[in-house]
Amino acid sequence: MNLENLVAILPLAALIVWAVLVLLVDLWIPKSRKFITALITAAGLALSLGLTLAQNGQSRSAFGGMVAVDGFAVLLNVIFLASGLAAVALAYDYLKRMGIERGEYYALLLFSISGMMLMAYASDLIIVFLALELLSIPLYVLAGFARPRSESEESSLKYFLLGAFASGFVLYGVAMIFGATARTDLAGIVAAMGSGTGNPLLFIIGAGLLLVGFGFKVAAVPFHMWTPDVYQGAPTPVTGFMSVAVKAAGFTALLRVFTALFRGDVYADLWPLLWGMAALTMIAGNVLAISQKNIKRLLAYSSIAHAGYLLMAFVPYGTRLQGDAVASTLFYLIAYGLTSFGAWAVVVALEKNEGMGLEIEDFAGAGRRYPWLGLAMIVFMLSFTGIPLTLGFWGKLYLFRTAVEGGYIGLALVGLLTSIVSAYYYLRVLVVMYMKPGEPVAQGGPWVNILAVATAAAVVLLALFPGPILDLVSKAIMLQ
Amino acid sequence: MTALQIIFLFVAAVTLASAVMVVSARRMMHAALWLVLSLAGVAVIFALLDAGFFTVVQVLVYIGAIAILIIFAIMLTRKAMEDVGPQLNRGWWLAALAAVGVFAGLAVVLVSWPGVNASAGAGPDANLIVTFGKDLVDPHKFVMPFEVASVMLLAALIGAIYVSVEHKGGQK
Repeated sequence: MNLENLVAILPLAALIVWAVLVLLVDLWIPKSRKFITALITAAGLALSLGLTLAQNGQSRSAFGGMVAVDGFAVLLNVIFLASGLAAVALAYDYLKRMGIERGEYYALLLFSISGMMLMAYASDLIIVFLALELLSIPLYVLAGFARPRSESEESSLKYFLLGAFASGFVLYGVAMIFGATARTDLAGIVAAMGSGTGNPLLFIIGAGLLLVGFGFKVAAVPFHMWTPDVYQGAPTPVTGFMSVAVKAAGFTALLRVFTALFRGDVYADLWPLLWGMAALTMIAGNVLAISQKNIKRLLAYSSIAHAGYLLMAFVPYGTRLQGDAVASTLFYLIAYGLTSFGAWAVVVALEKNEGMGLEIEDFAGAGRRYPWLGLAMIVFMLSFTGIPLTLGFWGKLYLFRTAVEGGYIGLALVGLLTSIVSAYYYLRVLVVMYMKPGEPVAQGGPWVNILAVATAAAVVLLALFPGPILDLVSKAIMLQ
Repeated sequence: MTALQIIFLFVAAVTLASAVMVVSARRMMHAALWLVLSLAGVAVIFALLDAGFFTVVQVLVYIGAIAILIIFAIMLTRKAMEDVGPQLNRGWWLAALAAVGVFAGLAVVLVSWPGVNASAGAGPDANLIVTFGKDLVDPHKFVMPFEVASVMLLAALIGAIYVSVEHKGGQK
């Protein structure tokens, strides 16, 4: 019945309604009190988070098979909503400081998150495409949110043009798969290909086109060109949100669509491509990061490198290790998400007005002057590198184990070597922060500091007791 | 010759003539208006073929949305209203060649298609539209994409307004 369908997507529906409410209520909030909008937005995210948690343990499909509510969707939606809360915390004082405090930020953020949540539920290619657009379009605008500033406008335009192009690839891929099987629902496509009525050539072309489109969203090499410029130009809270949530959404799409559709023969054709993409992404991301002088560009290349590590865990998805591939990808997404938001919080705290203070040299002396931020940054950089006693270590260990057990030892070796390379540029940030003299000013505001310290604490504590997260990700099974 | 055939020939002639005017009109604005006439001619041909759904879509989407979009784009673009430069450039014969090639290709494909001379019976056209409309709001079919598309358009609308409005005051 209709009501059941609506209950199934209640967290999503509530968030969309809340986004419209935020937009309306914002009209009556005076310019000097925009923090109220932020608080309302956070309340909406918390509400949706509560509704999502109430769905825990469910496993059913709704809307005639268009959406699937399962453990996978619940876990990813928790990641997306938590990312939303982090993005609100990062923006709370930042927007005011930069003179771009406007209510649309929050409404667009909520719309983007609702697109991501829809992606987690999607079990039909039409929904996958619409979710991709719903999450991307608000982000094109958010990237240009500091509008009169030319870098921000450049970032927005680049992201929009390349993003629209990538969406075209996805849509073309969906059309090809529809042409091959006359179905768009994942179960129907699998059935059509299994019964031999589908056209294998169109099907594999569709798979390739989808890979290009999703590869763009997760910033995998060779579709990564936009990342440094877009990350540098966008307002820092938006960049932080993009580096975690958009990447997670891209991997959601990959996991949902690829693990369901492209198995058997198609997987045999696809895995060399995926292997190459993963290896190239790890190498290019880490090597290019070495020469960066701007912290935002450095973290942008680092996010490319981490997309490579995630792809490495994703490569064995078609073997008997599918469960491990999904679980280790999700585990690393959580580890990377916590670490990344923390690192961006430190960047937001030390950023000066008009996008100044973002060179790595500007961080000189920050470690001594702000011991808590410095300590947090040590944790994040070690976790990015994958050094023990941080969550990043467990994440990488799990990734490597999945790759090795899947028989992709070469790939694991590439990952290991590039991790060693990455230590150089991550530790250089710490060297500058602690060894060089300087007088930076942290003005991030309380929420940013809390976010930095809380994520640092989480990265360390969860590394000491990784059991609960391992348990969570292994239960995040997709309804098939 | 039946009345229907006379009407068809007349509409086809108008459609083709206005299509020629689209590319030969000196002013962009005139070209856009000729395009509307040409698209309307196609809509009439659909109507003559008893394809009610395509007629409606042609009018709503092509004339109602795309043509209006083009006219807006012309009016909002600086200097595009004035006529500038010659109509032809050095590569005109290449474009002509491509156009003739595409026409010849389509003609060959259509003529070799076995159904080219078959007369279409009364199709289940009206029923199809009803089914289509019902499917769009059927919770077991397409209500989800339908609603999500509207949310997406709302988000795009907000974004477009944010990007295009001049923000005065409140800026440093």
